[in-house]
Amino acid sequence: MFTELRYSLRRYRWQILGWGLGVAALGLIIVAFYGSFIEEQEQFMQMLESYPPEFLAFFGGDASTMATPEGYLGMYGFSLLPLIVGIFAILAGSGLIASDEEGGQLDLILAHPLSRTAFFFGRLIALLLASLLIVFLGWLGFSVLLGGSALELSWLEMALPFLPLLAQVLIYCTLALLLSMLLPARRLAALVAGLVLVISFLLSSLSTLNEGLESIAAFLPYAYFQGSDALSGLNLGWLGGLLAVSLILSLLAWWRFMQRDIRVAGEGGWL
Amino acid sequence: MMSGQAENVAIVTQQLTKSYGKVKALQGVDLTVYRGEIFGFLGPNGAGKTTTIRCLMDLIRPDNGTISIMGHDPQVNPVVVKTNSGYLPGELHLNANLTAEKQLRYFNDLRGGQAEWSFIRQLADRLDLDLKRPIKNLSKGNKQKVGVIQALMHRPQLLLLDEPTGGLDPLMQQEVLNLIREAKEAGTTVFFSSHVMSEVEAIAERVGIIRQGKIVEVAETAALTERSLVQATVHFQKPVDCDILAGLSNVKMISQDDGLTATLQVWGEMDDLIKTLAAYPVSSLETVRPSLEEVFLEYYKSEPDNKEVVDHVH
Repeated sequence: MFTELRYSLRRYRWQILGWGLGVAALGLIIVAFYGSFIEEQEQFMQMLESYPPEFLAFFGGDASTMATPEGYLGMYGFSLLPLIVGIFAILAGSGLIASDEEGGQLDLILAHPLSRTAFFFGRLIALLLASLLIVFLGWLGFSVLLGGSALELSWLEMALPFLPLLAQVLIYCTLALLLSMLLPARRLAALVAGLVLVISFLLSSLSTLNEGLESIAAFLPYAYFQGSDALSGLNLGWLGGLLAVSLILSLLAWWRFMQRDIRVAGEGGWL
Repeated sequence: MMSGQAENVAIVTQQLTKSYGKVKALQGVDLTVYRGEIFGFLGPNGAGKTTTIRCLMDLIRPDNGTISIMGHDPQVNPVVVKTNSGYLPGELHLNANLTAEKQLRYFNDLRGGQAEWSFIRQLADRLDLDLKRPIKNLSKGNKQKVGVIQALMHRPQLLLLDEPTGGLDPLMQQEVLNLIREAKEAGTTVFFSSHVMSEVEAIAERVGIIRQGKIVEVAETAALTERSLVQATVHFQKPVDCDILAGLSNVKMISQDDGLTATLQVWGEMDDLIKTLAAYPVSSLETVRPSLEEVFLEYYKSEPDNKEVVDHVH
């Protein structure tokens, strides 16, 4: 298992740097511009109030809350981070095993002396570590300029919204992985998981305006994303629930992987 | 099976069945491969060769039937089976971004460093493979060499090779066959599938023929060719009525030349033919044993829906 973990983590190194540094750069810009935002707050508020509420709903709230550190970070950063990092999660999760299977390489890898369980969890742990490192680099980017910022947040406080973000990433990693074990093609698994991601974001955002949508959004992961609200205290129930669902999705994917045939390139109904 | 026999057996499959939807890929495959032998597995595309081999490696799960490899069920003890086996898939796909050396190091790490690197270099030298080249820059034949090396590098007790010489030039085909012979001399059991009859005939001690998911013949290679049809050419001193020869129950007339020469196909014993010829002035009789390819084709020609198969093999 450790060989597969080591090699998989090595394969993720450029993705970790790319996605991690991308989120970090976004954080640096957002935190650096908070001072200017406060100075020009009046004009910003006027501009925000001119936007329709449906538009503002996608950025985490109404104009009156956006001048606060929580509102500002939510609007420019945390409301969109699950979508951004979710793309990595879906691509990496759906391709964790299926990309080598569709490429025909899995046949030979699994002919070597490692059990399917060791192979599966070696790769899954590598993906979880890669996700953790991306979120960690993002947190560093959001935290490094906090010392001179009017946000008045500590590094530890800034870490709080990244825990629900990590939970969202894990949900989409494991959902995409399970779908790739059930559906005939990696692309189809990524498409379905991507639809869940986008629909979840849209419904949860619009449910702040239309209470009728709340009951549907409650079945989707984004409804349990705290974002910058976590700055005033983590919802451990949501966090634990998301992690538990990720664990269940992982175990279902593992169970399916243990049962199924390994297909070779060109075999079956690849899309 | 007697315990003494069990110790002598490398692979046993019993009533192995596997379907892909409505397609019955394997229909009750019974095979026994003995330790230390080279067993050739013949059949055209889609006959079930690759499906059988992939079942043996626990890459696909049979619907029914049992498999024992060196006394272990590959579904129950996959790690033990794979530790002692070397596998070369029919469709070889490697990581294009690695060099051949890095790819082999990865495989060796998966084996816990079972292989000695000096032996890997020795194999690479014999196959004239540059290990430093990226796989994406290798030809199909050179990629196949990487596949052959990874199957042999840890000196396994059992080799499962699906078309091992595919994509190789004739010289390298010979070198791979030499490597297989050497592995056998070192005690390795070899189970390999091939379309190339000459190479099966050259190295396999026994042959299994699979047709439409069923084993239709398992025999020693020599016995299979010996007991099959013989082509006989008879030269007469003066013209004779060759129709008498064609009337024999196990003889088929291929051609005749003005009653002076007759070319015949004879199944089984030649006793009747020779006794019949004794009544005529025969100047010479030549017989030619069929190649394994001709024997193989005989199994397919008899099936009306196998014209495509026969054409393909030709």
